[in-house]
Amino acid sequence: MMNMAGAQPLARAPKSSVQKSPVPPAPRALSPRMVDIGVQVAVVAALAGLWEFGARFGALNPFLLPPLSVVLGRIWEDLIAGTVLVDLGLTLYRALAGFAIGAVIGIPLGILMARSALVRWLFDPLVSIGFPMPKIAFLPIFILWFDIYDTSKIIMVAFSCFFPIVAATYAGCSSLDKWPIWSARSFGAKERDLLWEVYLPMAMPQIITGLQVALPVGMITTIVTEMLMGGRGVGGAMIMAGRFADSVGVFAGIVQIIILGFVVVKSLEIVRRRILVWHPESRR
Amino acid sequence: MSATHHAAASRQHAHTASGISIRDVSHTYGARTGGMLALDGIDLDIGDGEFHCLLGPSGCGKSTLLYLIGGFIPVQAGVISTSAGPVVAPGPDRSIVFQNFALFPWKTVKDNVLYGLKKAGFASAERERRAQRYIDMVHLTGFEDAYPSQLSGGMQQRAAIARTLAVDPGILLMDEPFGALDAQTRRVMQEELRAIWRDSRKTVVFVTHDVQEAVFLADRISIMSARPGRIQHVINVDLPKDRGEEILENREFIGLSEHIWRLVREQAVAATRGAH
Repeated sequence: MMNMAGAQPLARAPKSSVQKSPVPPAPRALSPRMVDIGVQVAVVAALAGLWEFGARFGALNPFLLPPLSVVLGRIWEDLIAGTVLVDLGLTLYRALAGFAIGAVIGIPLGILMARSALVRWLFDPLVSIGFPMPKIAFLPIFILWFDIYDTSKIIMVAFSCFFPIVAATYAGCSSLDKWPIWSARSFGAKERDLLWEVYLPMAMPQIITGLQVALPVGMITTIVTEMLMGGRGVGGAMIMAGRFADSVGVFAGIVQIIILGFVVVKSLEIVRRRILVWHPESRR
Repeated sequence: MSATHHAAASRQHAHTASGISIRDVSHTYGARTGGMLALDGIDLDIGDGEFHCLLGPSGCGKSTLLYLIGGFIPVQAGVISTSAGPVVAPGPDRSIVFQNFALFPWKTVKDNVLYGLKKAGFASAERERRAQRYIDMVHLTGFEDAYPSQLSGGMQQRAAIARTLAVDPGILLMDEPFGALDAQTRRVMQEELRAIWRDSRKTVVFVTHDVQEAVFLADRISIMSARPGRIQHVINVDLPKDRGEEILENREFIGLSEHIWRLVREQAVAATRGAH
């Protein structure tokens, strides 16, 4: 084939002979997925290396950007001292508790808005106004209403997670295919059975998408409220480090947040795949 | 084979068959916005245990009539009643197989079949047995744990048929149920359906635009006109109860098919004229 192409670039070989030339599939040492992961890890490693050596060899001021190894060393020290796990644990607790409250209120309300005109009339304006609004603006009010400790932080997180969840659930439940609903009714399903047996599973892909939007929002809100209100937690620890001009401490917090966010978001992706095994997306 | 077995085992749970009476039923879509008259003054009596085919060109309202009998869309004008009284809502006495399967995509084939059985109140062991029997009957053995999205259109439709037949409804409504099947499977399913109907004495209303299918299956055929749908002719099919492959060469079968084909063709031609 190569000879032919080289000798007579204009002459086209009969199609069949070209296509039948046996090209054995390359032995698959690495699956495409492994290659993907490998490349991604390499990119992260290269950035980490750039950071480390850029800071170490004077390209950057080590106070403004301390080398990665120093930052990791600090995390290790704090890990042994026990403070890292306390801060991470608190931040994770606030983020997940707020997220869960947002979901427990947002999902049923989204479903009801789609199924009942009365609920839609009552809540559609509120959701439409609240969705694009910067939710953090309510923080001073929440501090006045509920102390400065966990309650106000968790409510702040729940408030910011609620809107993407209710909006996605409402959209998902308003565009349901009527045929499975008709079949369920013809088998004798009552309206209240339909909610659990048909509407919820059918809208599940959109609902989970809403949760996937809300979760990082919840993480961001947690860190910001911790920064604004102080106290324990990764955000609070970072603000303290900043006040003491401890740039290593600030970067230690950033690295912790990156890792925490990555783990939490990936976990939700795994949950999605397990819940939506039936969906064609799970077989790509 | 499976059909005789079916009849014996299911008698205790069987819904009683019932006739269907349709009196002066008209239906308009989008009535508030001017509207499109889909059905115009339908009068039809379908006997208890009859196999009735609604035959007509596409857009003639035959599916609409079926959905009205099913109670899925409200009756606007006229009355439809069964032995249980006037039809107002869907119910398990009138099970339906939709043209586009309408399976629950989040349930496996088996769980889809089990859903209806559970709703019908079958005991757990009996549910399992019936589900397996009907899955076997539609030749989906080995696909019990597959999700609908993993199956071909024909396989999905067979799963939907198994799901509906398993609950043994007194009235069986079918909206072009074999449209997605290949020719061989379609023939097998037609024969199975005839056998099930013969042994269990259901009332079947079967919508199709396939003349040969209608003649093969039905006791009586209603030929509907192009939109607005009216019943133009009702034709008795006087062929033997036991119909197999051999009936396709029966002179009466061929003659009747040709006769009905001409009647349907008139409507189809009228429909295309109306469109211009």
